[in-house]
Amino acid sequence: MNAQIPSLLSRLSTKSPWLYRINAGSCNGCDVELATTAIIPRYDVERLGCQYCGSPKHADIVLITGPLTVRVKDKVLRLYQEIPDPKVTVAVGVCPISGGVFRDSYAIAGPLDQYIPIDVNVPGCPPRPQAIIEGIAKAIAVWQTRI
Amino acid sequence: MSFFLPVLLRNLLKGPSTEAFPFGEAITPKKLRARISFDPDSCALCRVCARICPAGAIQFEKKPDGLEFNLWHNACVFCGLCALYCESEGLHSTNDWHLSHLQSEKYDLVERATVKFQKCTKCGKQKMPAPLPLMAKLYPGLPADEIERLRAMCPQCRKAETAPAEGEPS
Amino acid sequence: MSDGLILLFSVLVFPGGLFALALGLLIKGVDRRVAARLQRRVGPPLLQPVFDLIKLSRKETMIPAQSSAAIFRWAPLAGFSCMVLAAAMIPINGVYRPSPELGDLLTLFYLLAVPAVVLMLAGSASGSPFGAIGFSREMSIMLAYEGPVLLALLSVAIRVGVGEGHLISLSLTEIVQYQRVHGPFILDPWMWPAMLTFLCFFPANLGVLPFDIPEAETEVLEGPLLEYSGPSLGLFKMMSAVKCVVVLGLGITLFLPNGPDGVLGLLLFAVKCTVLAVLGVTVVRTGMGRMRIDQAFRFFLKWPLALGIASLAIMLARS
Repeated sequence: MNAQIPSLLSRLSTKSPWLYRINAGSCNGCDVELATTAIIPRYDVERLGCQYCGSPKHADIVLITGPLTVRVKDKVLRLYQEIPDPKVTVAVGVCPISGGVFRDSYAIAGPLDQYIPIDVNVPGCPPRPQAIIEGIAKAIAVWQTRI
Repeated sequence: MSFFLPVLLRNLLKGPSTEAFPFGEAITPKKLRARISFDPDSCALCRVCARICPAGAIQFEKKPDGLEFNLWHNACVFCGLCALYCESEGLHSTNDWHLSHLQSEKYDLVERATVKFQKCTKCGKQKMPAPLPLMAKLYPGLPADEIERLRAMCPQCRKAETAPAEGEPS
Repeated sequence: MSDGLILLFSVLVFPGGLFALALGLLIKGVDRRVAARLQRRVGPPLLQPVFDLIKLSRKETMIPAQSSAAIFRWAPLAGFSCMVLAAAMIPINGVYRPSPELGDLLTLFYLLAVPAVVLMLAGSASGSPFGAIGFSREMSIMLAYEGPVLLALLSVAIRVGVGEGHLISLSLTEIVQYQRVHGPFILDPWMWPAMLTFLCFFPANLGVLPFDIPEAETEVLEGPLLEYSGPSLGLFKMMSAVKCVVVLGLGITLFLPNGPDGVLGLLLFAVKCTVLAVLGVTVVRTGMGRMRIDQAFRFFLKWPLALGIASLAIMLARS
């Protein structure tokens, strides 16, 4: 019984993943698709209990877009530190995963997983809103093992 | 505010227009450009795809008996240029977008196949493969068994075979 | 049971504390669900605010290095406890009648200002520039809406007081009693200006669109709440849920408290709160965009203030 209560609480907690998006030098394509998942009625991400929050301190699942440019690197790392544990990181789009078309550019510090532990990758340029929702669902499964 | 009230009322009456995904099947257009599929039997090893790929997702690696085709989906930007330029129709855009994966599978998401060199049936020299769709484009109107015979030859032998005899109109 | 224990029960369990929290969370869930339906979405489960609270209780609390830690830590608790106390002051017709020790309309009015003050404290204690902007905006909008609402409250108090034979009646129980005898004020056209003023006050006090300017997440990243995380953010969420019940309950007490006795009356109270929340908050927030702080300030000093003065003048002229 005593062991069941925490597991029940953690299961209920996974129904409320708050999303936070970091733009690490993205072209805005993936950001638009992220906004679509919340705003367009067709892909209502709120069904999973998700909610985009404005502050990194409220976040549970971090969605990072963009190839991590040299100039934005330190700011992204600082922002990542501001997010309270337990957290799950999702790389959205091919840029944070591999660099995409910007790979090997002098302006790119990425790929992102050299600096930040990534849990789920959602490749695409940009990924479909459904693919992002699928990635978020995978991230929730990862999150359940942590909270 | 009053302008929005009829809109809100209409929305309420029409009901949600949300897709069933992730709890059900997602609507996927047939012509959606997503995961690239590779058919090693239809590869002529011309390597135009590797040249044309803007993200450098396609690479060829030398192997003792052929060339290894590598396509990393985590770098592919779904532009479809490789499928457009592939004359032998070995590369296709499919509408499979289920590409999200855990970090542990990051480097497993690769389309990989070795395309082997072949031996010319006439001179015995090593040669690149000549896939059927490409040959059908090169020799339109030729019977299938004739195309099969020419396919197995190296380009030089093929040229010699198909060159018109002296005095004949080409 | 002694009076003290009854008082403690009414503050901690019913109708303050647990009951108000449960009702508030339910109203928030209904609000999110209805807002989703108005936008042709499916929306979250009805118990989503509860899940949010459970989740927040399991997260880590981060206290920024540049904050004044004591105020930062205790501000949400102060706000929540004040709201719990205020919830115990709302009479439920036929079910609950607050004891006179708890205070009257004016005490409730001042308690209603506490969450805003707490948000200001929290915003300034967090040491973040966004918190400071949220602080100044919260202050301006509070200054703007307090005046008109006080006028509306006073006109109800004068109406009841004159009807009962003295000049002014600040007791909420008496206001409910008067309406039980003479019919609810919502049916009296002379009370409508006061009611309209009060309707403008809902979204401003609850901090939703078009008046969520202090916590605008797209502009100032949730302002005063920016630096809060985990359980202390959960306390703020609980505070806003209970505040929702207090403000809605106050509106119902002032204009439509009538209903049957017993459990049915309690259910009717919950239904009235929910319907009022849907009409006064959800529809307004889905149908409108955010105002700028100067627009909101001007709005409150124009229409609600005029209506408040008008309703006070009507009451004085009729008495």
